[in-house]
Order: sequence, then C-alpha cells, then structure tokens
Amino acid sequence: MRSPGAGATALPHEPTLRTDSDAVDATLAASGDAHAFERLYRGHVNRIHGLVRRMLSDDEADEAVQDVFVRAWQKLGTFRGESAFGTWLHRLAVNVLLSRRETIGIRRKRHVEGDLVLDVLPGRRATPEAAVDMEAAIARLPEGARQVFVLHDVEGYRHEEIADMLGLAAGTSKSQLHRARMALRQHLER
Amino acid sequence: MLFALVPALAALTLIQQIDSTVPVEKGQRLEVDLFAGDVDVKTWAKNAVRVVADPGGPGRVEIERSATALSVRTTGRRGPPSSTDITLTVPAWMALDISGVNTDITIAGARGSISAETVQGDVTAEGGEGLVSVKSVQGGVSLTGAKGRIDANSVNADVEVHRSSGEISTETVNGSIELVGTDATTLTATSVNGDLSYDGPVHAGGRYSLSTHNGDITLAMDEKTSAAVSVSTFNGEFESDFPVTLTETRKGKRFNFTLGSGSAQVTLESFQGTISLVRPGSQHHRDRDHDDDE
Amino acid sequence: MSDVWTDRLSEYLDDELPPRERAELESHLTGCAECSATLAELRRVVARAHALESTGPAGDLWPGIAARIGATPTSRTEGRRSAGAQGRFTFSLPQLLAAGIALMVLSGGSVWLLHAGSAATPVASVSPQPPADSGLGTPVSWQRRAAPRYDAAVADLERVLAEGRGRLDTTTVRVLEQNLRVIDQAIEQARRAVAADSANAYLNSHLAETMRQKLDLLRQAASLVSAAS
Repeated sequence: MRSPGAGATALPHEPTLRTDSDAVDATLAASGDAHAFERLYRGHVNRIHGLVRRMLSDDEADEAVQDVFVRAWQKLGTFRGESAFGTWLHRLAVNVLLSRRETIGIRRKRHVEGDLVLDVLPGRRATPEAAVDMEAAIARLPEGARQVFVLHDVEGYRHEEIADMLGLAAGTSKSQLHRARMALRQHLER
Repeated sequence: MLFALVPALAALTLIQQIDSTVPVEKGQRLEVDLFAGDVDVKTWAKNAVRVVADPGGPGRVEIERSATALSVRTTGRRGPPSSTDITLTVPAWMALDISGVNTDITIAGARGSISAETVQGDVTAEGGEGLVSVKSVQGGVSLTGAKGRIDANSVNADVEVHRSSGEISTETVNGSIELVGTDATTLTATSVNGDLSYDGPVHAGGRYSLSTHNGDITLAMDEKTSAAVSVSTFNGEFESDFPVTLTETRKGKRFNFTLGSGSAQVTLESFQGTISLVRPGSQHHRDRDHDDDE
Repeated sequence: MSDVWTDRLSEYLDDELPPRERAELESHLTGCAECSATLAELRRVVARAHALESTGPAGDLWPGIAARIGATPTSRTEGRRSAGAQGRFTFSLPQLLAAGIALMVLSGGSVWLLHAGSAATPVASVSPQPPADSGLGTPVSWQRRAAPRYDAAVADLERVLAEGRGRLDTTTVRVLEQNLRVIDQAIEQARRAVAADSANAYLNSHLAETMRQKLDLLRQAASLVSAAS
C-alpha cells in the first residue's frame, strides 16, 4: 500500500492527511509505545467520540470511548496496515459498541419501544429547540434506525457493511435508514 | 514591533534580526519547534516573553499566542527551514516545551516543567520543577538544579545530572551517566556501553537500580546507609571501600548483602564491568587518581 | 402522506434503485408534489448528517485510558509528537507484555521471566507480586514462546526505519545503526551467557532488559522517521 498511486481503503469521510504518520504510530504503539498510542488517541478521539455518542448516549459515551481505546491497544497487534488506521479503529469501535449493547441491551429496551418513538417525534415539531437540534433528534430515534442512520449518513458506511456489522439483511438496513430519515426530516428548520 | 503579535498568528519574514516581546499570563506555556539552529532560554521577572531570532537564511519565524501557549517555530518556504538561532527570555514560572532537530538547547533559571528534546545537539538545562524531561539522540544531556520527576536520556552520548532531586530516570546506550550532588528518591540508570555513577543519599524505602552491559558502576554509600543491596555481574568484578557481609550468594557472581535495616532497595548490575561501592564524596578523588596514573 | 413511492425515496437518493424503477420514480416525481417535497427534505437530512461535527469529549479521557493500559499518564506535552518521545517511563511492565516479555518480581527481589503466553495482553497493571500459579517458565520456554512477538515488533520497526531512513540525516542514521549494533552485540553476549547458564535469573533479566533497550531505540528511530515525514 505504500507504492505510489496505490489507493488506500478509507471511509468516505476519512481525512487522509493523518494516514502516514498514523501507520508509523500504530507500529510504535503495537510495540508497546504508549506515547505513540496517545498520539493516535488525540488524533482520533473526536471522531470516535462522535460515533459513540450518537450510537449510544451522552452519559455512556466517555466510558465507552475509553473501552474502545483500551480494546484498540489490546488489538493493535492485529492491525497490519491493510487499511488506514482510522478505518480499522472505527470498525473496532463499532464492534465494541455492539458488544456493549448486548450486555446492557435489557436496560435499553425499556426506554426504546420501536415505532412508538417514531410516532411521538412529529408531535415535538412545535418546540423550536427540537426543530433545530439534529443531535437530540438522532438521540431519540429507535435504536435500530439510529444505528443505521449514524453508520450510513454520518459515518459513511455502505449498507452491505452495516448489514454485516449489525447482523441484518441489507434490505433491513435500507428500510431502517429510510425510517430514520423520515423521522428526522420533521426536525429540519422550516 | 512590541506587542504587535497579540493575540493572533503573526508571521514575520526574516530579513533582519527579530526582536519582539509578547506579554504572557500565568499558565501559558512556551512551545518552541526548530529544525536547525540553537535555542537559548533565559528567565526574567517580567510576565512577558522576548524573542530574539538571528536569521541564517530565508525562512520565517512564526510566533503564535493561544490561551494556553506561546509558540515559536521556524518554517521554510520550501523544504526544511534554514538554521536560525533563537534567544528567548521568559518568566521563570513558564513551562517550557522545546524541540529541535539540528539544535543545541540551553535553558537557565527555569522554575516550571521542562520538556527539551533534540536529535543532533546537546541539551544543557539549569532548573526545572515538576516534570523535567531532557533528551538528545546524538548529543549529550546535562541537567543541573532540577526538582521533581526527572527523565534524562541520550542515545550516543553522556548524561549528567547534578544538584537535582526527585524521582530520576536516566538512560543512554553508548555513553556514561553521572549523577553527582543529586538527591534521588528513586533512581533508574541504564546504559549499554557506558559507566554509571551515583553520589547522593540513599533514602529509606527508595529503589535504586543501576544497570549496564559493558561499563563500570560506582555507587557512593557508607556503612550507615540502610539498604538491601543486590549485586550481579557475569564477567565483571565487585569492590567495596568498606567490608560487607554477604547474606546470600548465588551461582555465578551474584550476591546480596544488607546494610542497617535494609530499608532501601539497591540493585547493581554490570554484565562485564566493575561494580564499586565507594564512600560519599570520594568518587572525584578516585577519578583524579586515575587521571594521575595515566 | 405516503404512496408506494415514498418508501423508495431514500434508495433513490442513495442511487440504489435499479434503472427501471429509477426511471419510473423520476416520472412519478414530476407529477407528485408531496414526494418531491419529501425527497427535498430527505436530501437536507442527509446533508445535515454529513455536516455534523464531532466535538470530542468534554474532559480529557486519556488519563483513564493510560491507567487501564498500564501506561504512565502524561501531560499533553509529553504526548505531543516530537523527536524521540520515548523515555524510560514509557516502557512499563505492561508494555513489555505487549512485546511478549513478562517480568515478575518475586518476593526475594529476584527477577524471573515468564513466558507471555496467549493470554498476555497489555492490560491494567502488573503488580510486583509472586505469580499465583506455577506459570514460571524456564528461560528456554520463555524464549520460545515470547520470541515471535518480540521479533515481529522488532521487524516492524526495522521496516519503518528502513523505509524512512531517506528522511533522516545520514549521520543520524549512522548513529542509530551504530547503537543498534552495540545493543545487538550485548544481546548476543547475554544470549550466550544464558545458554550456558539458563537458570541464572540475572542473566535472563539482563537479556530481556537489553532486548527492551533495542526495542526502545528502534521505537525512538521510528519516531524520528515519523516526525520527519
């Protein structure tokens, strides 16, 4: 991947500037260099935090972000540089979040009752805060729709990848995305 | 030019000598990033930083002030910047973060934390409190009068720590390490090809570890020290200015002995050098005797 | 508000409809104001999603991570990219674990080497206490088990240095290589000593320490390459 002209696999929104120094830092960190790992953390924490916050919730985000980076440190030996570090980290983060969801899934279920939430959303159109706060609207989406929306529209994954990660059929991923978008359009500024 | 740089980025074309003074507030740190040229940091009583830069060729000196830092760096129009010597006068409280490549770094009078790193060049620092980290790859490192957690490293040259105190960690590959008049609460000194010496108090509860492959180790201690000492060598020798009673001898040249109640833990290891215990203060005489002999 | 086409609007937007359905939907759009309006809204939702920014956590999460991976929490300065950012403090025992080498300090103060085994991930802290199980490996088994991971880390870093040496000053490269040779020589001597006296704890720990120094220097060299890029 180092030969000139060879295209690196990257997420659509992946900034490519960091990639080269990331590869070196990832090698260093895999050898046990905590400073190099801290540089990787500082370069990627904002994006990972955004992903985590939208996939889970504000109160869980910090803890889950730490889990992601701890797991990344443990797994660095498996990063072989075939993709950009950011892509690898991102994928790992999604896996950490999904396994986290399984462990706390029962608690979450009580708050999210599928379509009910979608039906409630339009009623909040009158509140100006709700109309402008896209983030809050995303947070109120049912879990399945929210995850697909975040992964597809915010993070730039394709349906096939999302289906693979979430263990869904690609068609389900598409319909969840559509549900999410339909709900969110109510929250656009008019 | 005075105060003209505050608060936004100011880029100065180096045509003649730059001499600017920028006010700073407590809590702001100084960051210097230089490719080539020397950095000389002095302190004064004002809450301001004076930057004097000597041009060595075309290039720019950028001074940027943010809420947390004042940063000074050189940039080239194309390729690496040309050599620029920079003299800075800063308040003593200011934390210093200086890095260079072909750069000698000199610091005097600092009372904040120091991080000074260069590749080709020496680091000579006087002062520093808190986290004090001085490093060079090809050059020597000399630190005097620092307090706190001290990290002094080189690869290809000597490391000296004088009149400093705190937790000290120091390492080089192809050089010697000398700690004189220094009060380490814990000490780690490691070399591959160099000699190690420590002349300072051995505190109760402290851990002192000196380890080298090819060099000699000299540790100043006397009978009154309270320490459990472990000595290991493969091809080397052990000598002591005073008698010690070996409590445990293992296969090869490895043994332990205890002085007093043994509250400090001292580990001395040289694969093929001589390990010596000397009386405090005698180290320099010994060195001089050596010189006279030669 | 919905007709048969409403549910296909997202797919249309993402260019995922087969050509025929796409054409049909496009012709429907020309006549259905509601679908056109919905499509415009969906487009805005997607644009808003793309434009969302990640501001990052309110506080610094690194100290918590550093504690959990057994690294010394550093100031931001220390974490900053700069030449030779590795110091002795950076190589804690848990990080040695990452290289497949474990040191266990026994109560007597002797240092023994343990094989890292498959479970040795760099987690939490390794406390200086005797191992609970009889996991004390003989030096031979340690070397056999840990060597591949160490060798892989060394090989990776050597590759970084080999690829990036053009970016470094030639005297720096020479000095680094010279020092690596010095360490290699020491490793070789220590290896031979261990081979002759494999139960000697000092020799084993000295070998591990010298190997650590090599890894450390290689990391420092790789950092220089990285800083110069």
